[in-house]
Amino acid sequence: MKNSWIIALRELKERLGARSFLVMSAIGPLIILCLIYVLFAMGGQSKQHWNVLIADPANIMEGKIASSKDASIDYSFADGYIETKEFEQAKQYQKFDALLEINEKVLSNKTAFVFFREKPSMRMQKRIQYQTERRLEEVLVSQFTRFSISEFRKIKQPINVSFKNIYDPNDESSKMDGWVGFFYGTIIFLFIFLFGMTILRSISREKSNRIVEVLLGCVSPKQLMLGKIVGIGIAAFFQFLIWTILIGLGLFFMRENLFPDLFDASNMNAQQLTKDILNQTSQEQMFTAREYNEFVQLVYERINFLGMTTYFFLFFIIGYFFYGSLFAAIGASTGSESDGQQFVLPLIFMLFFALYSGYFTLNNPESTMATVFHYLPFTSPVVVMVKLSQGYKIGHSYELFLSLFILIISSLAVLNLAGRIYSNGILQFGHRVRLKHLFRWIKN
Amino acid sequence: MLEIQNISKSFNQKIALDDVSMTINKGEIFGMLGPNGAGKTTLIRIINKIIVPNKGVIRFNGDIMSQKHLSNIGYLPEERGLYKNMTVESHALFLGQLRGLTKVDVKQKLDYWLEKFKIQNWRDKRIEELSKGMAQKVQFICTILHEPSLLILDEPFSGFDPINIELIKQELIEMKAKGKTIILSSHNMESVEAICDRVVLIHESKKIIEGKISTLQEERKKNEYAIKFRGSMIAFVNALWTGFEIVDKEILGDDKFIVRVKMRGDNKFDDLLKVLIGQINMEAAWEVLPSMQEIFIDLVQPKEISE
Repeated sequence: MKNSWIIALRELKERLGARSFLVMSAIGPLIILCLIYVLFAMGGQSKQHWNVLIADPANIMEGKIASSKDASIDYSFADGYIETKEFEQAKQYQKFDALLEINEKVLSNKTAFVFFREKPSMRMQKRIQYQTERRLEEVLVSQFTRFSISEFRKIKQPINVSFKNIYDPNDESSKMDGWVGFFYGTIIFLFIFLFGMTILRSISREKSNRIVEVLLGCVSPKQLMLGKIVGIGIAAFFQFLIWTILIGLGLFFMRENLFPDLFDASNMNAQQLTKDILNQTSQEQMFTAREYNEFVQLVYERINFLGMTTYFFLFFIIGYFFYGSLFAAIGASTGSESDGQQFVLPLIFMLFFALYSGYFTLNNPESTMATVFHYLPFTSPVVVMVKLSQGYKIGHSYELFLSLFILIISSLAVLNLAGRIYSNGILQFGHRVRLKHLFRWIKN
Repeated sequence: MLEIQNISKSFNQKIALDDVSMTINKGEIFGMLGPNGAGKTTLIRIINKIIVPNKGVIRFNGDIMSQKHLSNIGYLPEERGLYKNMTVESHALFLGQLRGLTKVDVKQKLDYWLEKFKIQNWRDKRIEELSKGMAQKVQFICTILHEPSLLILDEPFSGFDPINIELIKQELIEMKAKGKTIILSSHNMESVEAICDRVVLIHESKKIIEGKISTLQEERKKNEYAIKFRGSMIAFVNALWTGFEIVDKEILGDDKFIVRVKMRGDNKFDDLLKVLIGQINMEAAWEVLPSMQEIFIDLVQPKEISE
């Protein structure tokens, strides 16, 4: 083990001193921060003025909603009941951005639905919810209580306004939380791919410049392979830490500096602010203070960074060993530095398949295939991240540990198989790698 | 020191070593000779635990050879490389630590060798800045840095210029004097036979012969002598009678020759000298012993012809 560690340290030193490491450390976070900035900015630039049609067949609202006109929302009332299909397709409703459905039981079940064509910003959602809630409170107070409206508000229960996409009322494609896990999984596989290729190149370079035989005079092939994988893995880990710190600092900077400038209510166009909003209640102050778009809210408020990051590291490290040993085996079996590319392709395919399985799980979290992907060692690092961010059902957290256990066992098995290929292939030169060679080396 | 017992190794269907046994004694320079592809490198790799034999055992000082013995071995492979972007010192530190030395030890020993080879200013040079010959010197230093009791050098002189070959040869002789055991492997038999105490000849995966060079030469000498002289070649030929046969001649100048003469019957070297003295101006005369190359060809060729 001591020798593996010496090899790992040399490898680490070489990686850390390489220009590509420094370039990737700077460029990677920069690209991600730029993408996040664009997503923030795009969210902030979402539709600022909304036409909302209120379908209130029981005339509960009596054709009124806000006490004064909201500059950013125009409400219209429809007389009868409107089918969602009709709202989606009928020509006369195309000018409306959303349909607010007030059914006759709203006062008892406290649920109203908003069907939108384009997802409203969080700010717009809160505004519609707030105004609907206020109007329904007035109706409730006047019809069922002897309280004044201010007395009522002290004991009131909120109305649940459920926002649904008119084109996807069952809300199947909106899995914002899952996307966070998918992002984590993608980062895992991005690092595995980048540093897996580094392992492959490093091994085939050692083969072609023949230093490998000098090293094999001091250490066993398996120690050498392990040392390389560990050394490059630590470099990957360092790079990830640098990325995390830089992206974290970037997000903090955005939140503290760029972000309020972009989204703070006080910087908005004066027309958007109604008199009503200027005379804010404490509840409303809360809404305007949280005028972030959904992505911003997700990044700053909904991600359990600590929990996710802990499992991220676990799956990152073990997944890296799983794939890293395969990259090492291919590197050792190549006849020359350029050879072996055909064996990298299936590995790249596996990595892309793992990413796809994460995407699949995002959209079909309860499907049988998602369960299979959750336990398959070559897909589990990304799928578990998606599942983690979506949340395991109560009493089902054992699934996470089972998947981790399978990944650990598989990684050890793959490490062993790769070690055999490595030991047999590392001193074979100038040959064309064939699948039968790999099988023979595994058997030896 | 090293006992190699009945080692066999095959790759796929191809036999690389077939029941090869030999003994290497402590403090000797042992030559492993044979043409390319004979199986020498395979045997060396087996000794170094790089590959595992199909059959046979290797004993190191009586113990079955294992990974722990590798720190007693210095191995310079034929196909040797260095990390091009590392400095000479960092390279020595890396390989020295792998062989069990501490950083302080490596630095001290490196100082000694750099000074001995008068290359102190190379310490901080990157390998890519060195010429091939310079890099090979660094490789040699890295191999002996941990003062191994057994040194295995595969084709040690390939790529070296004559001055450096001599330098390395002297170094090996010094190491032998200090009690180190050295195995030299080469397909170029002339390059190593001069410094080897004993040799083994390997051909087509099999051991052909093993023994002291002087003994092997004695056993296979052909009763031939070389005469270096000034004078007329005709006079030389006329002086000989049927008891001698001219095998070969080398013309050194207009009237200067070296002639190889084979004794016939019971004739001795004395008889040859008697017939030549007075006929030619003799400058030197010596017994011609077969080179390892000739012995090897002698041993291998009849077999190949009969096959």
